Amino acid sequence: MSYSAPLTTDHPGQVASATPPAPGRSRRLGDRRLAVAFISPALLLLLAMSVFPLLWALYLSFTDYSATRGGPAEFVWFENYTAILTSPQVHLRALTTLIYVVGAVTLQTVLGFAIAYLISRRTHGRGLLTTLFLVPMMLSPVVVGLFWRFMLDAQFGVINSVLGSLGLGQVEWLTRQRTALISLILVDTWQWTPFIMLIALAGLTAVPKYLYEAASIDRASEWFKFRTITLPLVWPLLLIAVLFRAIEAFRLFDLVYILTSGGPGVSTETLSFHVYKVAFLGFNTGTASAYGILMVLVVIVLTQLYLRYLNKLKED
Amino acid sequence: MSVPGRKVQLATAAMLVATTVAACGGQDDSAPKAPATIPELTKDPLTLSFIWFDWPPAHALEAFANAEYTKERSNVTIKVKTVPNANWHDAMFTQFAAHKTDFDIPILDSQHIGEAVTNGNILDITDFVKKNIDVKAYNPYLLAAYGQFPQAETGKRDENASLYGLPLLGDTWTMIYRKDLIGDKPPQTWDEMISVAEKCQADHPGVSGLAFHQANGSDAAAVTYNTVNGVYGGNLWDPKTRKIDGVLNDTAGQEAMDVLVNKMKPLTAKGSGNWFIDEVNAAVAQGKACIAFNWIAASGGLLDPKQSTLGTTREQILDKLGFATLPSQKTNLVPLGGMGMHVSAYSPEANQAEALNFMKWFEQADIQKKWAAAGGVPSRTDALESPEFLNAQPFNQVYTDSVPRMRDMWNVPEYARLVDIENTNVNAALNGAKTPKDALDDIAKEQQGVLNASSRKGGGGL
Repeated sequence: MSYSAPLTTDHPGQVASATPPAPGRSRRLGDRRLAVAFISPALLLLLAMSVFPLLWALYLSFTDYSATRGGPAEFVWFENYTAILTSPQVHLRALTTLIYVVGAVTLQTVLGFAIAYLISRRTHGRGLLTTLFLVPMMLSPVVVGLFWRFMLDAQFGVINSVLGSLGLGQVEWLTRQRTALISLILVDTWQWTPFIMLIALAGLTAVPKYLYEAASIDRASEWFKFRTITLPLVWPLLLIAVLFRAIEAFRLFDLVYILTSGGPGVSTETLSFHVYKVAFLGFNTGTASAYGILMVLVVIVLTQLYLRYLNKLKED
Repeated sequence: MSVPGRKVQLATAAMLVATTVAACGGQDDSAPKAPATIPELTKDPLTLSFIWFDWPPAHALEAFANAEYTKERSNVTIKVKTVPNANWHDAMFTQFAAHKTDFDIPILDSQHIGEAVTNGNILDITDFVKKNIDVKAYNPYLLAAYGQFPQAETGKRDENASLYGLPLLGDTWTMIYRKDLIGDKPPQTWDEMISVAEKCQADHPGVSGLAFHQANGSDAAAVTYNTVNGVYGGNLWDPKTRKIDGVLNDTAGQEAMDVLVNKMKPLTAKGSGNWFIDEVNAAVAQGKACIAFNWIAASGGLLDPKQSTLGTTREQILDKLGFATLPSQKTNLVPLGGMGMHVSAYSPEANQAEALNFMKWFEQADIQKKWAAAGGVPSRTDALESPEFLNAQPFNQVYTDSVPRMRDMWNVPEYARLVDIENTNVNAALNGAKTPKDALDDIAKEQQGVLNASSRKGGGGL
């Protein structure tokens, strides 16, 4: 470009920027200080709100500290961890959580992908349909819990009313061992299927059209196109959505709290709900901290394994 | 690393160590004492905050106190903060744990006192009570239940024991029965009540024989079992030896669990396994239950024609609903409900002084009668027997008659865990997730484990 030089002289700002730094002032140091000034508030907040509590919980997990009983915290080393890992109560809650996570995430993935696939094939009204499907996801879990608690009420609920009008019997959705966990899975699926749908839809719309066109020219069937083009291209994105949902489901607390309070008995008591009870009913802070740390570790380890699988998939 | 970097690292480490030391520092377990005489009260505007769970008496208290107390203390505003019943314990005790409360007067369930006292969260008001309150005006059992710690083994008040609270609202269960379905005369024994409910259910399709608390939140299912346990001559524990296993699940305890699960549960509505106060009231108001049990203080709404299908006026509803004391069987025990008011140890001095002044004002005979007329359930004997109380609601006589029959639970620091164990297991038995015997044995074993673990150091606590 021939006119780059005159531009510099015509603009005073650019002329000023060409002025060398004042003697003794390090421009590099100034940038660094500026960066520190900008980053430090967020960093301090992160340290205070996230890193410190985590380290603090780690420390407490090796003690017998109770937030209300008072007295100094005494080191019990790995006693809390041993108690948790060998407790039949914890094993039962872990099994409940596992059934819930597998059930809910599988159902959500199948439904979410199916809905996304159907929506992606539409040319008209896709935006409106997507927005409507997203509504449950935007509601607070507490609102969803209360809403479904009324819907699933055995005596006065809409669901049983509909079943009754169809000549089917009443179902004790929230008060029977078998149906209570299924109810939780169904409600969670109602709320979070749209999340999977949204991610899957993003993946589906990103599949290059020319691949389908090429397949059509080769007279490939719809099933062949789905199996060899759609699914392989959307699969990695879908797996990331599954990862997010699985982590969320593993932490399930609010729906249990509102819908079943962990009942009947403890048959829907998840690990998170149990930690809450240990932490706030007994105020066994040390044990609850160890419990929380173990849960974080489980999530980290499983996530790492999952991410390795994802990376391998990407490389393949 | 640069020198400033090291400084920052050292400062951060020092901060962590300092915070650790501060947080782990010894805490004084003994409750701080309130002065015997009320300190000089402030003339500045002051908000006196209570914390309670969300139910009609909480709103009645705020309206009553703002209408009456402010006649004497015009600079004071009363605020009753409410939380859902299931969060009530946590809302108070998490703030106690933080040693900072946004309330001045926690309204504690009688069983919460031990947990609050042991950690120095509420004031010891023994000296204040001696100087300002006429303790002879109360049924000693009520004064002990709502204020004394350690709990008296006999249930009666020990005059030498410390007091940490004063009664705010008395309560017990009332039997609510359909006069139009089972007749005017309420059943007198528990067995009779079950057979009457059975017949009523058979005679009136769509109406269940019984409605009672079965939920596993709060203390719902636990109080139900405790009530039947008491009526059939059982004991919750031996407070002297702190023994539960072998006491709760003895022959009487097993009979009580059998009656509850195998005789009473089949008479309840399908899917009522998570019912608590509101659901039982709804079943009664919608004419879906022959006989129901509920807390007296929560029964006022039953007579509201707007909430009931039993009549368009209060009189029409009262033609159908009767209220009676609980039937007896081997004993005549009834559950103690209600709560006392206490003073937060973390409240500012001016608010603590105001709280003491409020308590002194509230416990006067004429104010207790006014509180009764406003919908409260008083604890002073003169107020309990006054026309203001007895005529205020049709179920108030039930309360007055029930006072000598009351039995409380364990008032120990481990209360919250004990009640949770009982709730979940009774709820499991009521909903078919456990056999009655297994549920009772599990309660006894797990509760004993909690009591045993509390006396030794170490981890666990699951």
